[in-house]
Amino acid sequence: MTEERYPINIWVNEERYEKLKAAGLADLCEEMLAGMKVIRVYADEAQKNEILRRFPTAKFDSATTKSIELLPREVKDRIFHKVVEKKSVEILGEFLEED
Amino acid sequence: MAEIGHGGKEIRERILAPEEAAAKVRGLPRIPVRSQIANEIIDIAYGWFCPLEGFMGQEDVEAVCSRMRLKDGTVWSIPILFDLSQEEVAEHGIKVGDSLCLTYHDQPMAILEVEEIFTYDKGAMCQAIYGTTEEKHPGCARTYGYKDVFLAGPVTLVNRPVINPPFEPYFIPPLEMRKRFREKGWQRIVAHQTRNVPHTGHEWLMKGAWLQTYAELPIEKPLVGVLVNAIIGEKRKGDYIDEAIILTQDELKKAGYFGDHNHMTSLTFWDMRYAGPKEAVFHAILRTNLGLTHHMFGRDHAGVGTYYGPYDAHRLLATVQDELSITPVYSMNWLYCPHCGEITSEGLCNHRDEWQKFSGTVIRSIVQDGVKPPRLIFRPEVFELVLECAEKYGFGSPFVTDEYLAKRTPVFTIPPLQA
Ligand SMILES: [Zn+2]
Repeated sequence: MTEERYPINIWVNEERYEKLKAAGLADLCEEMLAGMKVIRVYADEAQKNEILRRFPTAKFDSATTKSIELLPREVKDRIFHKVVEKKSVEILGEFLEED
Repeated sequence: MAEIGHGGKEIRERILAPEEAAAKVRGLPRIPVRSQIANEIIDIAYGWFCPLEGFMGQEDVEAVCSRMRLKDGTVWSIPILFDLSQEEVAEHGIKVGDSLCLTYHDQPMAILEVEEIFTYDKGAMCQAIYGTTEEKHPGCARTYGYKDVFLAGPVTLVNRPVINPPFEPYFIPPLEMRKRFREKGWQRIVAHQTRNVPHTGHEWLMKGAWLQTYAELPIEKPLVGVLVNAIIGEKRKGDYIDEAIILTQDELKKAGYFGDHNHMTSLTFWDMRYAGPKEAVFHAILRTNLGLTHHMFGRDHAGVGTYYGPYDAHRLLATVQDELSITPVYSMNWLYCPHCGEITSEGLCNHRDEWQKFSGTVIRSIVQDGVKPPRLIFRPEVFELVLECAEKYGFGSPFVTDEYLAKRTPVFTIPPLQA
């Protein structure tokens, strides 16, 4: 059985979409809610708990989307930069180590 | 013309003329009250709580707890209480027959004529009203937070609250509200209870309710309105700030998604009890007094956690429907269906595997990140206004923070009494 993983939704506006395209990462975008673009960075159980502990405003939306929401904007900005830098969404372990 | 409120009783404002007020409060013991009580004083004095004329006595509380009625049989679902500690009662030597000057932020606000002093088992009250005694239920927590002695008796406002910007146009008490409805020529008005900034799921809840309410009425002239009635009371961290809620709700009309002919926004001061079904009945009473004919109820109205089933409120309302002069309008959820390419009702569309449901948390996350969502999900005017409110009123955040709680301008203040 694979371990359950929980997404952090990084919302993608035009400006971010351009950056992703330039980095050849436009394919990472998924569409959610009427075409709203999003990149999903996944956390495992331990990472999820660590994030909720470290950022008390964050919430796990257990009811609808099983995603981690309401992280501070600047934290999301840094996660986004990490994705672009590493050209991957598998960056959370590294992000948490460095943060 | 007599304005008849809940329970068939005439709505009369209990407000002293300014020239009488100063003399009436002179020499009375001054008792400071907290915001919840100040809110309820306003609700009593202006008629939101009709037929109540003051804080409840023991027999009323007992009847509310055991039968969901006042002692005279009128349907009533939530106790309205004025609490003091034993020490305060002793310190001021308060006894039945006394009048007290209730102050808010040091200014005289109202007179309470003490008709009764009593105690009540808070656990029993919680069980009766909330169906639980758990402290983590916010209504129970509020009940346990009451001091030990309750004072009952009529309340009269001595000093009208000054509603601070940007809220002043939205404070429309029952008598004034009924006048406005007549001016608009609305025959039916449906209440939308909210504590949210509206996404299109909310917008469609209102549109759907408007259609349901319109029903068989003729369409030559606009005869039906939606009243957004925002509950303004104690805030919790992470809630939308009050300014954003009220202004964005009104923006739906101003930006043309509704119009003056069918939409209006107002506020009611009330600290949510999250009593689910009991609170649904209570909201029906508040809006009856405001002059509404219909009231929207979605799933799990005013519920919290998993305490109440999604339709418990609807069932409880049905038991007292004959005694309420407001008709419930039940709303199904609205969602985005990519196949239909539109916002649709879960009662209509059958592309169930493709549905994209609104999640309040996800929408808040989009707002928090400041990334503009598609207009089908969130109206651009509403989105811009939320960001503007965050800067103007929220110290940079559209959600309640510690800083907002500490520094915000209060929704109302009580001015010094005229000499
Ligand atoms: Zn569909």
